[in-house]
Amino acid sequence: MEIQSKPLVRRDFLRGALVTAVMIPLGAALTSCVGGGGGGATGGATGTVSATNPFGMVDKSTVDAVIFKGGYGIDYATFAGKQVEKAQAGSTVDVTAQTNIAQTLQPRFVAGDPPDVIDNSGANLIGINTIRDQLEDLTSVVEAENYEGKVIKDTLYPGVIEPGTFDGKFVQLNYVLTVYAMWYSASLFEANGWTVPKTWDEMLDLGAKAQAAGKYLLGWGKEAATYYQTMTISSAIKEGGDEVRLALGNLEPDCWSSAPVQGAFTGLKKIIDAGYMKPGGAGTQFTAAQAQWSNTEEFVLYPSGGWIENEMKSQTKEGFEMTGAPEPTVTSGSKLPWEALHSTAGEGYIVPSKAKNAAGGKEFLRAMLSQEAAVNFAKSTFSSTIVKDTIPADGFGSTALVSQVAMLDAAGSDVFSWNFVDLYGMNTDQLVVWNTFLQGGSDVATLTADLQAITDKVAGDSAIKKVTVK
Amino acid sequence: MTVVNAQVAPGGGRTTATRRWTRKDLTFDKISFMVVCLVVPLVVYIVFVVSPFVQAAYYSLTDWSGFTSGMNFIGVSNYVKLFQDATFLKSVGNSVTLALVLPIVTLGVALIFATLVTIGGPSSGAIRGLRNASFYRVISFFPYVIPAIVIGLIWAQVYDPNIGILNGLLTGIGLDQFEAFAWLGNVETAMPAVMFVIVWSLIGFYMVLFIAAIKGIPAEIYEAARIDGAGRLRTALTITIPLIRDNIQTAYIYMGILALDAFVYMAALESGGGPANSTLVMSQQLFTTAFTKGQFGYACAMGVILALVTLLFAGVVFLVSRLTGGSNEVAE
Repeated sequence: MEIQSKPLVRRDFLRGALVTAVMIPLGAALTSCVGGGGGGATGGATGTVSATNPFGMVDKSTVDAVIFKGGYGIDYATFAGKQVEKAQAGSTVDVTAQTNIAQTLQPRFVAGDPPDVIDNSGANLIGINTIRDQLEDLTSVVEAENYEGKVIKDTLYPGVIEPGTFDGKFVQLNYVLTVYAMWYSASLFEANGWTVPKTWDEMLDLGAKAQAAGKYLLGWGKEAATYYQTMTISSAIKEGGDEVRLALGNLEPDCWSSAPVQGAFTGLKKIIDAGYMKPGGAGTQFTAAQAQWSNTEEFVLYPSGGWIENEMKSQTKEGFEMTGAPEPTVTSGSKLPWEALHSTAGEGYIVPSKAKNAAGGKEFLRAMLSQEAAVNFAKSTFSSTIVKDTIPADGFGSTALVSQVAMLDAAGSDVFSWNFVDLYGMNTDQLVVWNTFLQGGSDVATLTADLQAITDKVAGDSAIKKVTVK
Repeated sequence: MTVVNAQVAPGGGRTTATRRWTRKDLTFDKISFMVVCLVVPLVVYIVFVVSPFVQAAYYSLTDWSGFTSGMNFIGVSNYVKLFQDATFLKSVGNSVTLALVLPIVTLGVALIFATLVTIGGPSSGAIRGLRNASFYRVISFFPYVIPAIVIGLIWAQVYDPNIGILNGLLTGIGLDQFEAFAWLGNVETAMPAVMFVIVWSLIGFYMVLFIAAIKGIPAEIYEAARIDGAGRLRTALTITIPLIRDNIQTAYIYMGILALDAFVYMAALESGGGPANSTLVMSQQLFTTAFTKGQFGYACAMGVILALVTLLFAGVVFLVSRLTGGSNEVAE
């Protein structure tokens, strides 16, 4: 076309091209931040409430369940779905597996069309603080009768409702019971005549013995450095009781400087300074680090949650006999006994208020909490649900599962937990601080100041909704 | 298309350059051409590129959590917060460092290699590269064929303190201080280690780009230079670089944009931001803020800053090129 022979026009075109060239990066950067439009409210229709249909699920309706597909798979959810289909004749349950919960469900929340029930779990879960206003109160679920005719509340372990309760509203049903402990190889300890340390001083002694045997006492991986934060907080709570837990949970000023917390930090620092911590953790992928404990036995104790057995299944030495013990106390005169346990529940199930079939979502949870579904879960995943009496004495052949139940029995009512780290999404920032501390790069004072700074930043940010812990 | 038989326009040639279009010119051919080649792309561009810009810029002025349909307008307070956020400022610093270092190193090395395999050969006979040049070309392109995430995961294993091949080699030759040395876990080494991986993975691509550009330069020019007594370095500096200047400029901008993003490499190598946040980049901080902390409004403000920094980078590159005597604004 003639445009070819118009030098002036061509010049303008080139100028335009320059502008475009500059604009392209702008586009690339900004499109990473796309939102959606508005959305209307749908309450969700209800059918007739009856003894067999306590939430009034609409006859022959469909339940849309989105389940996080991680270590536990989704077969257990499909199993519960089948139970719903049986109990509510004519209904269907669509179980969808998902790995990135936040990214995939975010547009559905914005559009006002969330699923009926969600297993909000995994690395990319939706921060509960972000959506708790949009969730159903699940008290009615635990007050209902399960499929075996017992009131659900009475069949659960103690302390499983509290972690899902925010400002008095029970919005998240954490399904899988998680016991936090110090894990070790019972066979290794027996062969060396070692006993489980009950205080930080005993830990230090064991460190010397392990060193004599050519092993380290502890080790860590870069993504899991905060397991040591979990462990030291547990230790501090046992030492100082609820006071410590409330100060941390309510983001109080100087909450990291209290004597029990400092005692636990100092205990750990002594171990690091003595060289009983396997070096290089800050650059090691965490499962690789855990294999140094479970497979090659380069270090002997590891603080973690009960999922550790399942996680390391393929990388555990033959005859390892993975066993858990409570975290050490700071002194022998601690407020809570050594047996006290940090136990909470994970795999948070939520039912959005705007879901089309919220009643169906609750019915799904009722099925999950039935004895049959809970036993099925324990059998297939070697993990306990929050439903009591589902683990036989042999723990389906798992020493870790047996020791979890034993620890829970020993703890009795001395069970505690906290959720401020996850609630305010602090873990990413804390990891940095802990990696530095564990590799000997900072002292207790620096660790305390850095952790306090993270806490103060959240506490001082008016844009973040706070939850008061009682 | 019928446009090929361009018999529609009467006249033509330079005489029409200043004539305005009249109604008579708007034939079906012209209009259909404009619709297909101008209107449709423009609409696509507006819907998928411009509107998200505007949307994100708007969200950055709100307290949107990302999971609600409603949000409150809070003005520029997100931006005020950003400039007091030490972690974010640290990530800006890291991103800028990457944008300054990566293009220079990557393009510098790529240019040296490209010169060697095209004109760095024997100084007698035809202008050619080193022996086995085509073999090196293929080898050097290998890393670019592997997806970035895989490269990141492979190198994470290489850098592993205890089972990594790097420490294995270093301790193997007697350097015992590298026993269990955490390359990605020390403030001093984390950033250089990550930079090395990015450079390693992209040299091949830019090398191929420069080879193509150098091949486009007539051999007579090099022969003339050689007759005049120019050595290899002299030829590279005064013949090659000025003649492929436009390619270098374009490559510089691409590389800079990649360095300002760097998300994939960081996610694989330093997902947590590295020791003392020494490798935390803006895109990572944006992602965490949006999806882990549920602060989309704040994250959008970060996105706007990232966009502005990128824009500034491209602008500076153009300006520097212009001031140092670039032939034109863009390649002709």
